[in-house]
Amino acid sequence: MKKSKLIMMLGSLLLVSLFIFPLWNITLEAPQYPEPLGMDIWITKIADHNPNDVKNINLMNHYVGMREIPEHMKEFDIFPPVVMAMAILGLLIGWKAKPKFYLAWFVLMSVLGIAGMYDFYQWEYDYGHNLNPKAAIKFVDEVGKPMAYQPPLFGTKTILNFTAHSYPMVGGYLLFLGMFSSIVAYYISRKEDRDDALGGS
Amino acid sequence: MIHKLIIFSVAAMMIFTCSTDEKASTQEPSSFANNTPKGQASVVDNVSAKNILQVAVGSKDHTTLVAAVQAAEIEHILVNAGPITVFAPNNAAFAALPDGTVENLLKPENKAMLVDILTRHAAPGTYDVKQLKKEAKKKRKVYTATGDYFDVVVKGDDIYVAGAKILATIATSNGIINVVDKVILPAK
Amino acid sequence: MKKINKTAFLLLAISLIVGLTSCVQDKSQKGALAGSTAEKVFVAPGEYDDYYAFLSGGFSGQLAVHGLPSGRLFKVIPVFSVDGEKAYGFNEETKPMLETSYGSIPWDDSHHPDLSQTNGEIDGRWCFINANNTPRIARISLKTFETVEIIEIPNSAGNHSSSFVTENTEYVVAGTRFSIPVPQKDMSIDEYKGNFKGALSFIKVDPDDGIMSIEFQILMPGFNYDLSHPGRGKSHGWMFFSTYNTEEANSLLEVNASQNDKDFIAAINWKKAEEYIKAGKFKTVPTKYAHNVYDESTHSATSTMEKTVRILDPAALPGLVYFMPTPKSPHGCDVDPTGEYIVGSGKLAAALTVHSFSKMIKAIEEKNFDGEAYGIPILSFDATLAGTVQQPGLGPLHTEFDGKGNAYTTFFISSEIVKWKLGTWEVLDRKPTYYSVGHLMIPGGNSRKPFGKYVLAMNKITKDRYISTGPEVCQSAQLYDISGDKMELLLDFPTIGEPHYAAGCPTELIHPYTQKIYKLEDNKHPYVTKSEHEAKVVRDGNNVHIYMTMIRSHFAPDNIEGVQTGDRVYFHVTNLEQDYDVPHGISIIGAKTSELLIMPGQTETFVWEPKNIGVWPFYCTDFCSALHQEMQGYVRVSPKGSDVPLKWSLDGEDL
Repeated sequence: MKKSKLIMMLGSLLLVSLFIFPLWNITLEAPQYPEPLGMDIWITKIADHNPNDVKNINLMNHYVGMREIPEHMKEFDIFPPVVMAMAILGLLIGWKAKPKFYLAWFVLMSVLGIAGMYDFYQWEYDYGHNLNPKAAIKFVDEVGKPMAYQPPLFGTKTILNFTAHSYPMVGGYLLFLGMFSSIVAYYISRKEDRDDALGGS
Repeated sequence: MIHKLIIFSVAAMMIFTCSTDEKASTQEPSSFANNTPKGQASVVDNVSAKNILQVAVGSKDHTTLVAAVQAAEIEHILVNAGPITVFAPNNAAFAALPDGTVENLLKPENKAMLVDILTRHAAPGTYDVKQLKKEAKKKRKVYTATGDYFDVVVKGDDIYVAGAKILATIATSNGIINVVDKVILPAK
Repeated sequence: MKKINKTAFLLLAISLIVGLTSCVQDKSQKGALAGSTAEKVFVAPGEYDDYYAFLSGGFSGQLAVHGLPSGRLFKVIPVFSVDGEKAYGFNEETKPMLETSYGSIPWDDSHHPDLSQTNGEIDGRWCFINANNTPRIARISLKTFETVEIIEIPNSAGNHSSSFVTENTEYVVAGTRFSIPVPQKDMSIDEYKGNFKGALSFIKVDPDDGIMSIEFQILMPGFNYDLSHPGRGKSHGWMFFSTYNTEEANSLLEVNASQNDKDFIAAINWKKAEEYIKAGKFKTVPTKYAHNVYDESTHSATSTMEKTVRILDPAALPGLVYFMPTPKSPHGCDVDPTGEYIVGSGKLAAALTVHSFSKMIKAIEEKNFDGEAYGIPILSFDATLAGTVQQPGLGPLHTEFDGKGNAYTTFFISSEIVKWKLGTWEVLDRKPTYYSVGHLMIPGGNSRKPFGKYVLAMNKITKDRYISTGPEVCQSAQLYDISGDKMELLLDFPTIGEPHYAAGCPTELIHPYTQKIYKLEDNKHPYVTKSEHEAKVVRDGNNVHIYMTMIRSHFAPDNIEGVQTGDRVYFHVTNLEQDYDVPHGISIIGAKTSELLIMPGQTETFVWEPKNIGVWPFYCTDFCSALHQEMQGYVRVSPKGSDVPLKWSLDGEDL
């Protein structure tokens, strides 16, 4: 089998790791939490990084009126079939299709990825802005508007006494690697074609 | 002018840095200032009932004994919770020793011997007159801090311990002082 | 102008150098000692102490947890006395812990903590401690730092020569101080001699869960049994007890028990005892003693009354016990890390007596006896004697070891610690204590592997050592650095109650394994409420059971109606938190008991018997959170027979 095919197929297989590893992580640091609170975002759930972390994040956040981290979201129903479908599609493309479809797969993945990130942002925005009007503690920002507690989409941000970190986890990195593999596979295939052409003459 | 200013400020700096240093160094060891060999004997207390050492120090008849105790640096033993009984030779008892004996014992190089002689005069327990008479009756001996055993004998109204006659008995806060007329030397 | 500047700078530079060096010298001459001493005990904010020290609370009945070298007090673990702070003995869950055959007892006198061992080394699992007055042994979990078991010792009185563990925690040993009639009976005190007995108890410890059971008692002659320590290494399988009052006096012991030239150290061959038990050479006698166990899954203690105990008679069982004559009422009875030397501190003696284990075995083999006492062979004094430390001080009490061949003995009357060398018996150093030292402790000093960096002296008298607190002043502990040739006093800190003995070990043996929270899903308390939806109030005749939860920053329910005067109201409160160090407390006005202090995931219960109608508030007693002061609620109490229905709510809604 050609190297490019192999890379393309292995790359799409990497998507399956999202069922085994968490995709993303948000960690909250504060002086009174020597062990920071963290939640791991999977394609199927939001889970404790250390035991009881989600419960304790909810407990801290309820004072400012933030809702509890949901146990179930519609995304948990959508992500697994989509990821599975894309993995299978990638495998099929790698096995049967022409290399230019590798690029198509990559573009499709990117569109889905951006959509996912947008969805994540929307949820974060809502989580940080849509506050219980009966909240015990209401902070305002410099211009007197109610303070928002939206975690960062990517990177690190200070929210009151907490430092929030939002970064991919193993599943996320493997996903990027998988997507990157499709491009690599495409370029290798072109080289292979050139070599074939030279070899044939 | 600049000259003066600089010198002044340097001097001020030196005083400042050194003075803080000095403060630290004089304050910290002060917590150790009480750590003299006298231990509990250095506790200042004018309210509590007097202990053996305080009574002895206040007695005109025991200046030699007190001097010996101080030379032996065993004051803290006489202020211990006890109860202890001290058979306290008076000045006359020390004076009755061969010439030069006391002077010799008070020399620093003979401290161990002095400690031994003095602690022989102390016994754990409360041996007042009543108790000593009982010991005599039951033919029990008094065991001293050096591990010696003293006979107790009653002759008429008098009590003798290891041959020394008891002249007076004083109850103190941490035990008994029995004034004796003799220095009790090691049995040969 | 420029020139002036130059010289000025030169001057400045010179004076600065001079100034600096003079200051440096100053420091090295005056402040260096004090500075380095302070540094040796300074544990920077956020840093950890190197050692745990468990100090007995003496007449407080408790156990104090300190850190060394800082001396800081971290926790007072309630053991034998009630503690309103932690609801120990007040909440329904821990009340059974204080049950005895005499009924519930709210106080005792705790003396000698000892840590569990494996292969002669401290394993950091449990701490044992004895109750002296009403004889009991407690086991404290070093995962939760809570008292998890208390076993009463029958046929014992003044449980003093306790609670010392053998090399693999096979047994924790408890010896009686007083001899008494066994079994108890109405008899003349004057008939003491020959009739009173002293029971030495061997309590088996389950190697997995630590549960204790009295395996057997050895019924000894009517002496006083003062202290004990286990053999280790080569002497593993033996236990050594010091005795006094071999005169068998029953009055004015300060005189009458000080007559004999020598008392004994009793050497007990407990492996032999096991053989006799196996061979059925024991007598099962009826008695009564409480066995109280705290279950960590139900968070509740149960008390059972045991009915019999097995007794071994040393006079009838050869090879079980031997007496080693030891001068003048030995108090401490301490075994060195190799197990070869047994140090007897005759508290009235002028010298320290050290016995040799191998010489003892040889003397037994050669039957080198010097008579017998009540059928127990007395070994010849010279045959077991390893050596004596001559004129070490006045009033020797206890000895610990640094593992480098040195021993450290306390002297009560001369108020000092004396360091001496095992084998040569020479005195190497002495340092005063302030004042009148009792026990001393080297972490691991009672094991095969001492950590010979510090020795902690525990003093009975402090007088002028601290700012005064009136007639009653604290007792104290003093820390000495023993890493060098000479001991160095580092620190002096106050203690709770009376620190009799202490046990210590390196931080890393315990700290990493401690428990942070009780897992809610593992909570099997019969009255647990695992979520706010399950909170409820149930009436059962005059008993009202409130199933309540607490979480930052409210109770559920927090409004309760339908309680009546004459009711017995049980507050079963579950802390729903699953976050480290977020306890909540609760109490209600007029409650004739203590608050509850409930750890995350734990359930506790207190009883309230409202006498008056009205609306009565309750609140959280531990500053738990930013809205702690909002964490409160009301109970409405109606007259007896009222038709106000039972109702409970949170935020105006049913749960």
